[in-house]
Amino acid sequence: MIFKIGDKFSEKFHINDKIYQGFINIFNDNNPLHTNYQFANDKGFKGIVMHGNILNGFISYFIGEKLPTKDVIIHSQEIKYKNAVYLNDELLFNAEVIGVYDSVKAVEFKYHFINHEAKVVSKGKFQIGLLK
Amino acid sequence: MNRKEILSSVHEVFVDTLDNDEVRINESTKATDVDEWDSLTHIMLVVAIEKKFNIRFNSSEIQSWNNVGEMIDCIQEKGI
Repeated sequence: MIFKIGDKFSEKFHINDKIYQGFINIFNDNNPLHTNYQFANDKGFKGIVMHGNILNGFISYFIGEKLPTKDVIIHSQEIKYKNAVYLNDELLFNAEVIGVYDSVKAVEFKYHFINHEAKVVSKGKFQIGLLK
Repeated sequence: MNRKEILSSVHEVFVDTLDNDEVRINESTKATDVDEWDSLTHIMLVVAIEKKFNIRFNSSEIQSWNNVGEMIDCIQEKGI
């Protein structure tokens, strides 16, 4: 098993216009919270709010590309949103191994995203399987 | 824990993992008896059972199980 409990990983992400527009173009979620500054501002946000599932895309990238093996598949994933994320935010993603299950080649992580103000914007867990 | 108590705890794991309050299991239940018990669910069940009882199986133990009863045998062999 290449993972052990306590292993830590970090990655920086930048929510740029290409990611934001790409998400809208693909999934067509044009809810005004995500596209209308005045609407978002009236609801108490300082700008248009990025789609929460963009962060899931970052997690997918991390699992698929940044772990020490490419032989991985996602078993499960949970995400909780704590604070809004805005266009051009820089996010720090931290993940830690919290469970290793050799019998079924599964590894559980907890993670969180922190913004440039050191606020946790999202946190959760995911479980991956190691492909044979 | 006696076998009945272990079966009850294993049942709780099945309900939670399968997200199905209606699922019923007994010692003779096999994967083919439960619609949602596919290969991925099997992994999730094993992980959940390992967490529940704070035990670890090895792959040969898992492959030897033919039904829930044999799973419980293995749990008991871990001192539960």
